[in-house]
Amino acid sequence: MHRIKHALLFLLVGALAFLAVLSPGNAELAIAQTDAASSSTDVRMTQNSATANSVTPNEVNEVAKELWCPLCNGVRLDACELKACEQMRDMIAEQLAEGWDKEQIKNYFIEQYGPQVLGAPPLEGFNWLAWILPFVALAGGGVFLWRTVRRMVTSRPQEAAIAMDGASPSVADEYSRRLEEELKRYG
Amino acid sequence: MIFDIGHLILLTAMALAAFGIVTGYLGGRWRNTRLIQSSFNVVYVVAALVFAATVILWYGLLTDAFQLSYVWNHSERALSPFYKFSALWGGQAGSLLFWCMILSAYGAVVAYVNRDRHRALMPYVNATLLTTSLFFLVLLVFAADPFKRVGFVPPDGQGLNPLLQNFWMILHPVMLYLGYVGMAVPFAFAVAALLSKRLDNEWVRTVRRWTLIPWMFLSAGILMGSQWAYMELGWGGYWAWDPVENASFLPWLTGTAFLHSIIIQEQRGILKVWNIVLIWLTYFLVILGTFTTRSGIIESVHSFARSDVGPYFLVYLVLILLGFLWLLFDRLPLLRGEHSIDSFTSREAAFLANNWLFAGIAFATLWGTFFPMFSELLTGQRISVAAPFFNQVNGPLFLLLLLLMGVAPLLGWRHTSLSAFRKQFTFPILAGVAVGLLVFLFARSFYPIIGLAICAFVVATIVQEYVRGVIARRATTGENALAAVAGLWRRNGRRYGGYIVHLGIVMIGVAVIGNEFYQQSLSVTLARGESAQIGRYELVYDGMISERKSNRIEYHALLNAYNLDSGRRVGVITPQRNIYDKTPDMPTSEVGLHVTPFEDVYVVLNGWESGGASATFTIYINPLTLWMWIGGVVLVLGTLIAAWPHPTQRRSEVVRSLAYATGDD
Amino acid sequence: MAEGMTERTVGAEVQHAHRRSVRIWQAVFTLVLVGFIALLAARLIQTNQSEHRASGQAPPFTFTTFDGETISLEDLRGRGVVLNFWASWCAPCRDEAPLLEAMWRREKDNGIVFIGLDYLDQEPAARAYLAEFNITYPNGPDLQSAAARRYGIKGVPETFFIDPDGVIQEVVVGPIVSQAQMEALLDKIRPRGPSQ
Repeated sequence: MHRIKHALLFLLVGALAFLAVLSPGNAELAIAQTDAASSSTDVRMTQNSATANSVTPNEVNEVAKELWCPLCNGVRLDACELKACEQMRDMIAEQLAEGWDKEQIKNYFIEQYGPQVLGAPPLEGFNWLAWILPFVALAGGGVFLWRTVRRMVTSRPQEAAIAMDGASPSVADEYSRRLEEELKRYG
Repeated sequence: MIFDIGHLILLTAMALAAFGIVTGYLGGRWRNTRLIQSSFNVVYVVAALVFAATVILWYGLLTDAFQLSYVWNHSERALSPFYKFSALWGGQAGSLLFWCMILSAYGAVVAYVNRDRHRALMPYVNATLLTTSLFFLVLLVFAADPFKRVGFVPPDGQGLNPLLQNFWMILHPVMLYLGYVGMAVPFAFAVAALLSKRLDNEWVRTVRRWTLIPWMFLSAGILMGSQWAYMELGWGGYWAWDPVENASFLPWLTGTAFLHSIIIQEQRGILKVWNIVLIWLTYFLVILGTFTTRSGIIESVHSFARSDVGPYFLVYLVLILLGFLWLLFDRLPLLRGEHSIDSFTSREAAFLANNWLFAGIAFATLWGTFFPMFSELLTGQRISVAAPFFNQVNGPLFLLLLLLMGVAPLLGWRHTSLSAFRKQFTFPILAGVAVGLLVFLFARSFYPIIGLAICAFVVATIVQEYVRGVIARRATTGENALAAVAGLWRRNGRRYGGYIVHLGIVMIGVAVIGNEFYQQSLSVTLARGESAQIGRYELVYDGMISERKSNRIEYHALLNAYNLDSGRRVGVITPQRNIYDKTPDMPTSEVGLHVTPFEDVYVVLNGWESGGASATFTIYINPLTLWMWIGGVVLVLGTLIAAWPHPTQRRSEVVRSLAYATGDD
Repeated sequence: MAEGMTERTVGAEVQHAHRRSVRIWQAVFTLVLVGFIALLAARLIQTNQSEHRASGQAPPFTFTTFDGETISLEDLRGRGVVLNFWASWCAPCRDEAPLLEAMWRREKDNGIVFIGLDYLDQEPAARAYLAEFNITYPNGPDLQSAAARRYGIKGVPETFFIDPDGVIQEVVVGPIVSQAQMEALLDKIRPRGPSQ
């Protein structure tokens, strides 16, 4: 059996080495290297190129980091490359330039796009459940464990008694069985 | 033609699996040797058949058989053979086939290794594993046929999702599936123990190693997934608490809890019900995770295209839920604990606390993952539950868990005396306090100080354990320190391998703390020759080059990086963008990296203008990230040490149980 | 002897109570998990339904235009409604914008209303877009995507053609660029008879 396990491990290590050596970069042909300038495809600038005011992309991202793209799933606004997100960042830049603070901007986003722009459920209504239930479950489990262990710890000196208790059901069952039998016979 | 055979093969495998379930179950019940043998044969044949079907699909992918809907949708002529190969798990039907292939291979290996052992358990193990195989074969035959035809022969395929055309996407799914699917094996042993009423320590001992191996693959798979996200998604992070990531993380949590609590059952004969529930939960979460990522009920960047597999999964989930609970409740009287816990300061109690925290984290993660879905269902409101939620809820729990990881091994079984307490804890606590103070000098925020102090504490406990073990061995054998460590691993791999795994976890923890609290970022647009400064680095933009590859054009930006402290040039960082011919509107990103043990300089190329005269970058300094990957390697090595067969076992199967009693603490 | 008996009975009662509490916990555990799967099932059904766009009676909505006017779909009964979901970041929307505006100008006195709901957009960019195409029919943000979700749109542009009785007659996914197609669609939602 162990020989098989060794063989499996060797196979695994071998396969890893094989993949590492023949990584896809090597497996492909580089056809031509040209200067990017000769290519007509520019990739759009996505980091707030349009805003001609004094707000820096870093200041924008400071806010955008705490918002989530409403068009994607689980992509943070500062890292999102959709045009819509780019426009949203432009909007943040404009709002910052007008002197809005982070909370005001976040509230504006919630009003416009709904609470899904936040990375966590806002603390209201049904959403409380999201925050509370994990801790309720944890506390419940903790109390249950604590009580179980304490019962075990305190009842330790009477281990013999526990053994008796454990044996009692069969005794009781036996008793009731006999009772049944006698009732049948005489009743 | 050959693809019709593929379909036929799956159909045959399905019928055979159903037959094998019956022979396995009845063979186990009636102790009928011929039926039992037949169940073994079925397991082997099903594995061979499913493998053959997989090979046929691979053949289809490699020969560009675009008449197959799957090949047409997930491959193209210009794709490199490597990605044609890995396109097997790039889509719904193929990845289900791959799932099934790994499962049936596991079944065959388990059956072969145990062909002469566990006579009472094995027929039921076969039957249980075949049940899972049967479910996936039903899916493959009725709901997600990988050999479905398009109806004509298209000239070229649609191409593989560009995000999946990455080196880690070849390895990561294989590892993840090996881990994910492998969790079916310990579950099968638990069911077999329940069915055969052999609920003594036999299945527990066997199942430990069969859990460790999938656990190792799962851990490695999750980390490789993080590596992929880090390199490919370009948002500066490695883990987003995305529903699909969580789907792989949940069985890891319950599986890890199981690996710990099974030790208490082995040592003290308690927690029997809990352990069975845990391993069932792990299996349940595996199926649930497969369901959620494939049915479209949860939205995620990683999820598969919608298909009709959803209802099948639901039926199967109900089946394994009710079937298992019925079996468990029926066998409850056989699962009484043999001992009790004697003291709060015992290792048993610490392990209980460990399980409590793992269960708590698993619940919070499950709840957070499904909450948006329930919220939309019940209130109609769409919300997102992402990193801020999970960090706030799980963060403190992980810290406690880390602390416990240091504390638990220092406590004795049953009870820890005050003097032992003092002897064990003095050095680690001093180490923890020292590092805490040191961090306090540089950064005055609560979590990093506490977190790093705990990491130091845990490392100190591990070092202390090793030093004591080495001293003890040297006293008896007189060998040198290195040989003594090797001796500890050989003689006592479970314990000392376990410490190595813990060390790997601490490294990952350190990387997480560094990234979570000390990440810096900068967005800049640079004209050629201009430079940007972040942390102790200066980056000079040196222009762009492009490169034509078989199915894409790659654009590389060149940035010369200088370390301002030393004034030296440390290298060229080349963030990259790929534009694929088939999906030009979905340019993918490969980040440029300069890796040091202290920090990664991580550069994303956001875009460029006028053919590269100027370009926009997001630059991150990610402290200590390298330790996450080193920690992963350490974790795998530690698991191998812990799972490696014991030398005394290797000598003779007869003294096996003796070795377990003496060799392991 | 008698004392021993009562002790046993008490033991049996404790045992009985214990067994009952175990049974209750079993039931709770089972119910919670079955409830969870039931929610999954409900969600699966919901997901499959939301694959379909709204049809039949048009879901009601109210919105405030960029000019501050409040418009409710219910108030438009008796007129045909062309409901267009768009966004300024959406490239294909630009292809149909001139045609939509031209048709509105032609049909606004024939009992047909055009409405533009701006999907997940940014007000400055949206206003610029409206100015660029000189759009005059009522347009406003679809706040929190409320209408978009009720109509089950998958993206922009999507256009719903609602008849005078408030019934959705036709849905077009993607831009409408052909005049002929537009004419045919409009014919389906014209008020019957001369509108007085």
